[in-house]
Amino acid sequence: MAAREVRILFRKELRQLLRNRGAMLTALFLPLLMILIMPMAQISSMSSGKLHDLHLPEGLQLPPGLAELRNDPRAMLWFILTPLVATGCLMCPAVTASYTFISEREARTLELLVALPVRVGHILTAKLLAILALAVPVCLALLSVDAVLLLSRGLGPLSYVLTLGVMLLTALACSTSTALLVSLLARDFRSASNLNGLILGPLILGSFGLMAVLPGPTLAAGVLAALYAIAAGVTTLMALRVVTFERLLR
Amino acid sequence: MPDWVDPPLEVTNVIKDYPGNVRALDQVSFRIAPGERACLLGPNGAGKTTLIRLLTGALSPSHGQVRLFGLSVESDAFLQARRRVGIVPQLPGMYRDFTVSDYLHLVRDLYGRGDIAEVVEVFGLGPYTRRPMAELSGGTQRRLSLAAALLGSPDVLLLDEPTVGLDPVSMRDVHAFLRRVMAGRTVLLCTHNLTEAEALCESAIILRQGRVVLHERISALRQRAPALLALRAAQGPERLLAALSELGTDGRREEDEVLIPAPEPTTQAPELLRRLLAVGVDVYECRIVTPSLEQLFLDIVGAPHGRA
Repeated sequence: MAAREVRILFRKELRQLLRNRGAMLTALFLPLLMILIMPMAQISSMSSGKLHDLHLPEGLQLPPGLAELRNDPRAMLWFILTPLVATGCLMCPAVTASYTFISEREARTLELLVALPVRVGHILTAKLLAILALAVPVCLALLSVDAVLLLSRGLGPLSYVLTLGVMLLTALACSTSTALLVSLLARDFRSASNLNGLILGPLILGSFGLMAVLPGPTLAAGVLAALYAIAAGVTTLMALRVVTFERLLR
Repeated sequence: MPDWVDPPLEVTNVIKDYPGNVRALDQVSFRIAPGERACLLGPNGAGKTTLIRLLTGALSPSHGQVRLFGLSVESDAFLQARRRVGIVPQLPGMYRDFTVSDYLHLVRDLYGRGDIAEVVEVFGLGPYTRRPMAELSGGTQRRLSLAAALLGSPDVLLLDEPTVGLDPVSMRDVHAFLRRVMAGRTVLLCTHNLTEAEALCESAIILRQGRVVLHERISALRQRAPALLALRAAQGPERLLAALSELGTDGRREEDEVLIPAPEPTTQAPELLRRLLAVGVDVYECRIVTPSLEQLFLDIVGAPHGRA
């Protein structure tokens, strides 16, 4: 149960986010592109005709994540869909957070908030919850469209779709905790964008890399989910212990 | 439960270090008694804003204790004490996407009490309630900050440079509001404006390089520094100084007048004037100068190791 102060500040943050066109466009556009439009294009190409085996050159060495491609052309869909969903979820809260954290810091409105009977932790928690409250329903709704199509057209097993859902949630948690760290480290929007790129870029590339290394889409999505959860925990600890909230006020 | 007989504001042996070996506060201790109106003075970088932020709980001390009504910042019940404190921050930013009304509702919800209509009327915010906060003029923004600070009927007011950056008319308005709302409350006013401090407060805390060099009633501070007699003579300040020297009295020139220390000016002035007239110096002006808080402040912070 969140503290009373967090609930009151959460309502304020959500109201401000919903009024902020830039934040709303970012929150909707990236997931729409990564979780719906691009996967839909793939799914529709897979289901437009009969699936044919791929004729791969003899002796071609495929990484474990793509080895299944010899027997099942859906492996390409899984190979691309999983990191696409992860990328959408990793980028959405991180970019939205820049609006809520950095704009507040740049405009010196944080001074107004700390003058009220709240703790700095309440302010940050409320902001992160507002970001999640916006990102989770949007991302889950978009993924559910993919899930229905995958299951109804026989393009993915139920275990894979469920693991994809778990991965989506942990990727959002990871992105939100990254947003907290970036907001404490960044001086302005520009440095926030640079830091986001520095942290999320390798994470996204690493996700594609892992998909290639791990056999089977369910296992790969599960491992990614676990890694995002660990990254979320580590980043949150770093933000709370090492960087501290005092940077926001200096 | 907090003990309400504890001092409203208490700072004990507080050290505040920032990263990079920057010591903002060094063994700072003071307590503000209930109903005391104290000003916090100090040159730029003395640690005033850090101290205010420690008192609000926004920052934590590296060492020592900060207490509001006996509750330390680390205490779970600290927010109970915070709800008894109204804060006017120094030049805060204003939301573009939040109206005056939205903000006052947020403040009331967080304090858990308050009559918005009353503060809107008292601070003349009626015409602005639907306006975005960032579109208000500087003076109106400051009135909004004061209204927000007073909405929860706090026992203590922390005012961090409440008139900085205001034009003289707005400053006069804010002073009028402050005089009205400070009555009967414990106040800590952080300011650079020594006239303001003198007019609104009864005691002064002077910070220098992160240390408290003085915490005293302004009236007692004045008694420490003797009054001065300011004299002007028709023959000019040099002749006046020479005549004073002949009479065994030291003085110092300040532009076209001469200042003489006079602990008891009402008895010293007539005798001195008689003697000066007798040696042919035509004194045409003599007035008693009480040292201003500004002069006392400059004496203290200008001294190599401070005073007290």
